[in-house]
Amino acid sequence: MLPTAHYIVVGAVLFALGLVGFLARRNLIVMFLSTEVMFQGVMLNAVAFSRMHRHVEGQTFALFLLVIAAVEAGLALGLVVLLYRRRGTLDAEAWSTMSG
Amino acid sequence: MSSLGALLLYGVFALGAAGVYLLLPRGERTRALPGAVVGVLALTALLVVLSAEWVAPQRPTAYFYLFSAVALIGACRVVTHSRPVYSALYFVLVVVAVAALLVLQDAEFLAVALIIIYAGAILVTYLFVIMLAQQSTEPTYDRYAREPLLAVLGGFVLMAAVAGKAGDVAAPNAVRTLPVVNQVASETDGPGTISAGNVAAVGASVMTRYVVALQIGGVLLLVAMVGAVALSKKRVPAEGFQQPARPIGQVGKEALPF
Repeated sequence: MLPTAHYIVVGAVLFALGLVGFLARRNLIVMFLSTEVMFQGVMLNAVAFSRMHRHVEGQTFALFLLVIAAVEAGLALGLVVLLYRRRGTLDAEAWSTMSG
Repeated sequence: MSSLGALLLYGVFALGAAGVYLLLPRGERTRALPGAVVGVLALTALLVVLSAEWVAPQRPTAYFYLFSAVALIGACRVVTHSRPVYSALYFVLVVVAVAALLVLQDAEFLAVALIIIYAGAILVTYLFVIMLAQQSTEPTYDRYAREPLLAVLGGFVLMAAVAGKAGDVAAPNAVRTLPVVNQVASETDGPGTISAGNVAAVGASVMTRYVVALQIGGVLLLVAMVGAVALSKKRVPAEGFQQPARPIGQVGKEALPF
């Protein structure tokens, strides 16, 4: 088992923890924090593969991941503020009527 | 990876999933202490299984285990803490630990970028919004998780599917099939040496081969900025509660429409 595999395991555990948080938590802000934890796992994997192939492309890809994460955080928080001002709560269940 | 190692890994994941399930906030029924004990046991077992599987010439430094443990404990607390501010602060811990793991893999530029962008910019934005929407008492939706068992099961299945295959990834003939451009670190570098070439290598890659993607990323950030400003300036009708009359976060007496 090469070192890459260890980083992949740690990245997978981080991703899974983020997924559990996204599914289980009801606070909109904590849900989006959990997606950021998932991003951390993905980034760890990208860099581990970059190291494995001794090639910087994985790191370049992780850099673009950072850009996407920043965009996501900005827009998601804007939406969360909008939803909060409308209903006065951060509970995701308050918007369950949208699921039909 | 041996089949015994894979089996051990699945067992460790099941243990960790049980720990996370116990730790998730469920009001009075939260089992914090047993959850913490099971979680720490699972973490220790994971690191022991990983160290047992490590190929001898590439023995890791203790830092890998240290920072992995910090990252995983931090992530667990982000997900399970019932107060969002603490979740955000634990996330800073996760970011710092992941940045350290990136340094261990000779990705110094990305590690520093991660700390600056995540811990410096994104987290501050999160904290602002958390403070803005702060409730005086701990609200119900923070004290009760939604379907904790199903969520933990879903996460466990995903984790087992990905990490169970991790042992097969690094098959020797899969390594070095790509052309080696801008090597991350030269072969002569021992473990722990910091190669100044990493920043140059990533910079060259971004600025030459992926320059169009870089420009698109910039445009994307601009669009997101304009969008966020437009979103937050928009006036929305308050449904079921009066906005200005009472402090933020308190819901009106009249019944909410949902």
